[in-house]
Amino acid sequence: MRRSVLVFGLGLAVALLAGWVAFPRALYVQRQQPLEFRHKTHAEKSGLADCNECHAVRDDGTFAGIPAMDKCAGCHSERIGESKAEATLVNDYIKPGHETPWLVYSQQPPNVWFSHAIHLKRAGLNCTDCHADYGDSDQMKVCEVNRISGYSRDIWGHSISRVHRAPHDGMKMSDCEDCHQQRHVEVGCLGCHQ
Amino acid sequence: MKVTRRDLLVWSAGAAAGLMVTPVPWKVLDDVSIWSQNWPWIPQPPRGPVEVKQSSCTLCPNGCGLRVRMVGGWPVGVAGVASHPVSRGALCPLGFGAHQLNWHPQRLRAVRHRGNTSTWGEAHAAFAKACSEGPVVVIDGWPGRAASQVLENFAKSRRGEYRVVLSPETRALLPYERWSGAPATSLGYDLENAQTIVSFGAPLLDGWGAPGRFTRLWAERAAGMTDPQLRLIQIDATLSRTAARAWRWAPVRAGAEAALAAGVARVLLEEHLVASRGPMPHTTSAEAADQTGLTADAIRDLARTIVARGPVVALANDDNPAIAALNVVLGAVGTRGGVVRRSKTAKSYVAADAEIRSARAVLINSSVPWDFVPRTDAEVFRFAAWDGGSSKADWLLPAPGFLEELTDVPAAPAMATETYAVAQPLAKAPHEVRSAAQFLAGIDASLPTAEKIIRARCQDLFHGRAGTLCAQDQTPVSKVASAQKLEEQLWNGAVWVGEPFRAESFRCELKEWPTVAASVPSQNWLSSWSAPILPPLASKVFQESDLRERPEGRIA
Repeated sequence: MRRSVLVFGLGLAVALLAGWVAFPRALYVQRQQPLEFRHKTHAEKSGLADCNECHAVRDDGTFAGIPAMDKCAGCHSERIGESKAEATLVNDYIKPGHETPWLVYSQQPPNVWFSHAIHLKRAGLNCTDCHADYGDSDQMKVCEVNRISGYSRDIWGHSISRVHRAPHDGMKMSDCEDCHQQRHVEVGCLGCHQ
Repeated sequence: MKVTRRDLLVWSAGAAAGLMVTPVPWKVLDDVSIWSQNWPWIPQPPRGPVEVKQSSCTLCPNGCGLRVRMVGGWPVGVAGVASHPVSRGALCPLGFGAHQLNWHPQRLRAVRHRGNTSTWGEAHAAFAKACSEGPVVVIDGWPGRAASQVLENFAKSRRGEYRVVLSPETRALLPYERWSGAPATSLGYDLENAQTIVSFGAPLLDGWGAPGRFTRLWAERAAGMTDPQLRLIQIDATLSRTAARAWRWAPVRAGAEAALAAGVARVLLEEHLVASRGPMPHTTSAEAADQTGLTADAIRDLARTIVARGPVVALANDDNPAIAALNVVLGAVGTRGGVVRRSKTAKSYVAADAEIRSARAVLINSSVPWDFVPRTDAEVFRFAAWDGGSSKADWLLPAPGFLEELTDVPAAPAMATETYAVAQPLAKAPHEVRSAAQFLAGIDASLPTAEKIIRARCQDLFHGRAGTLCAQDQTPVSKVASAQKLEEQLWNGAVWVGEPFRAESFRCELKEWPTVAASVPSQNWLSSWSAPILPPLASKVFQESDLRERPEGRIA
């Protein structure tokens, strides 16, 4: 009897260890961004302190998302510094006219309709409420991509149990629902899944 | 220590119990469900910048305003434009799903000759040979466009004929063309100024004309009111969706609309309820009552109700001369709130229904509804973006689909004012498609391109200095800086609107009450649809509307 309890406990412990420690590490593959980009440098040296300078909401309400290469080319048409990233940016992307294949941390499935304009202008949210304080980051973080779903870890959130998370950690549908519930905003299914 | 089978089972039980309190099963379930929504063979819109462009719908001649959501240069969503002067934000179910049509499995992607795959070269050679051997008839479903002018010019240059399949709304205006000489395509109904509308089966709230035109008018001036500013009297054999929402529904026997119009006109003339002197119908109230299933008293009441609040206009569902004659009796021709002439430049066309006897070949444009079959033994070259299966065409030629070609959008059928818009090509056409105008340009290089004609029309509008350019703001054309600027705005989705209706010399000479009673075919938002397919979105709406069982006991 005592031996059975011991073996059962061993199996339990192995599963717990595998589930809580090994599984989250195995589930995500780490991918580096194609270019080194520093939000902080751009904010401090180029006067692009406002997110809207590059990630603009257009007049018609659509969101520009990650700026296209012509925006970068406004300053980087020629090399500004001597760094390797600068050379890659100018030689591999700007001069040949190729868009940089940025990895997107907050990419949602195509069946989700989301308006940045409504959330920023009508609800009065700040960018940091959902995207954390990227504007102050001095380095792009590694993009952890889920091996099964293909989405970034930022969607699920960094806590695998999804408890005790920071408010901006996670962009699952339940996170949207929680926020809407807190603010008493009812949109229904078709509000996001048109 | 020896590991026994029992140990393995106990260990597995412990591991299974442990797994249940880890995120593994729940997270894997979540991820697999997301993965199953994103299988690689499911078409996905490309990732890219999101833009919204304004254009006009080209699925039928009504040209409703569109807000097209584009991702990475591809249309992924369609919505109405609230400020559009014709559609006023509304779209039919086809329009809402139009961006899905270009990906439909029945999209034509290769030239077909009598069921076999062929090439453009062979089609071109066959058509050129036919042109050299005899006259060619060109059939169009949307006259007045720049592309139509190309087709018409070609037919005339080859001693052929240009024929047109008119929309049901325009066909309903043909009696006025016969009696006045004014082309049916130049006429319209001034519904915006009417106070009573008598609809003889026209599905005003279910796809008549531009979907938003009457529905908005009705919503503003009639919906929910016991004594509405706009009285809609629906004459229908069944309690159709329009009849159910109308101010009054007069249930008549199917096909008895002409008899009712005659009965009403006779009451109007006998009781001197109208000022005008129209021809007296031979049908008496009693005879009309016998044919329609209404009582003679009900017909008299209906006649009095119709004229109680003017201006009044009667609308037919199709080419029914009795309803047109009723409008003559009501004095609703050439007057405010009645049948008006909006254009002096529109032309009359030969109807495509008549038999084609002496042609060597018939070319059918993709704007012609798929169910149209020409009565001819000539070789048929049919342009279509979608293949609907059985067709009498010898050649099926793949045409551009939704918003894949530049086209201009003249005034919608039955509008009271002139409008003009341009639908720019927002979607990239597959390389294997060609429009009929492009095809004919390969036969006759002297033909002008649609783009050139559109530019000339924009210049004419600018030099005319009349009308207004409606975009987000309304700008009189007299204040537009240049023809180029005007063209640019039209390309970006603005709509030119002509001067409002003025009483002009438009009169109908009608000496005798017409005796021919045309049948009234059923009609709805699919009536003008040229293709044999529906987008998935419209299929759903279709299932929930027209296919549902008719309620028992509602047939009059």
